[in-house]
Amino acid sequence: MPPRIRCLTARGLGSAVNASRIPSRSAALLVSSTSTTSSTPRHYATAVAIKSGLTLPADYVPPTRPPTARPADVRKAQLLRTYTSLLRSTPLMLIFQHNNLTATEWAAVRRELRVAMASVPLQGAEPIDFTSNISLQVIRTRIFDVALKVVEFFDPSKVRPTMARTISGSRAPVTYNHDLSKAAYEAVKEATKGDSAQLASTSYGQLAPLLVGPIAILTFPIVSPAHLAAAMSILAPSPPAFPPPSRKRTPNYYEPVAQSGLQKLLLIGGRIEGKVFDLDGVKWVGGIEHGLEGLRAQLVRMLQSAGLGLTSTLEGAGKSLWLTMESRRSMMEEAEKGPEAALEAAVKVEKKEG
Amino acid sequence: MITHFITNVTTRFNPFSAGAKSARLFLTSLPPSARANGMSIVTELLPRTSTAASTLRVKFKDGKELNLDCENLGIKSIVEEVDRHSRALQKQADIDG
Repeated sequence: MPPRIRCLTARGLGSAVNASRIPSRSAALLVSSTSTTSSTPRHYATAVAIKSGLTLPADYVPPTRPPTARPADVRKAQLLRTYTSLLRSTPLMLIFQHNNLTATEWAAVRRELRVAMASVPLQGAEPIDFTSNISLQVIRTRIFDVALKVVEFFDPSKVRPTMARTISGSRAPVTYNHDLSKAAYEAVKEATKGDSAQLASTSYGQLAPLLVGPIAILTFPIVSPAHLAAAMSILAPSPPAFPPPSRKRTPNYYEPVAQSGLQKLLLIGGRIEGKVFDLDGVKWVGGIEHGLEGLRAQLVRMLQSAGLGLTSTLEGAGKSLWLTMESRRSMMEEAEKGPEAALEAAVKVEKKEG
Repeated sequence: MITHFITNVTTRFNPFSAGAKSARLFLTSLPPSARANGMSIVTELLPRTSTAASTLRVKFKDGKELNLDCENLGIKSIVEEVDRHSRALQKQADIDG
């Protein structure tokens, strides 16, 4: 009867050791039974196993660190990565405080926002429809705070490569510069341990007091004042500049569920192109007409008019100088001719005028 | 926190100041149905440059008005203050039946 090979299902350190020993013992038995007839030299598999050492299986899990039961997308490490990538990619972000919105209220608020975003006309020569990427999401405040610090204070390009041992035993330079790396942790620790005045001057220091309690963020993939204005008029209407939509055109906006949800959302600030804005600042950005193109046009117009003024001013100085010199020349010419000639000239002038 | 004896909550704060924390957290501790049950909640946001102290005024059903100092009190102390009066009202309501 051939030796029975036990099937090992338990995955612990003990079982890992057994797994490497038991098959080798059975292999040795097999080898010894066959090697009596063959001419090949005796070759014990146990010796081979000892020489190579103990190797843990690829799916080995330490008993002190069992696999997490939390879904992958809400694990803290994954959340941090998500937030850092979001902060690096989004130029326009509004920060809201949400006070106990229910799920139905969230759904209503998001629906109204989606409708408003879809109705904003796209601008530019080749308009890209990015409205599906505008999202209002609730964030985990503390992890978002850490992600802000990582984005602000950690520069992955400055991390030096370290020497790491490869499987074959040789050493090779490896750069660990991801957001969960020790380098990131140390950079953030170094930047935040200093005095509070220095920290307050940074973008993180300005934004940090906002990150208290339940926070939701509205992110835009590009800076589009038109979309920002539409979002403001839905989520934080302030009548003169950002009026709420009319009751006739959007009756859903005035449903009690949507209204009670919107009353509980509080716009407390924004982060636009890395700079921190308060409510008034966000309103100012939302009030820019025709977006960035409009702003550029305004600038061009201003520069052009300034140029026109400048040339006329410069020209004017030369002109007046020429006029003065010319009049002086004519005066001197008349003085050379003598008083009679001057009198004649004066009479001529009078005749001409008459 | 006992909230069903509160009728009015009026807050005013600059979210960029550290002193606004307890006022903001007080707003989050009000239940989702607070407005539907007749509580009026008014929040005024101060501009970022403002250095005015954040204020929180809570009015109860019996007419008592609490003016809480958010700059120095933490959220726990504020909840304690509010609950102290709410419990008295609750006791009175239980006696009245």
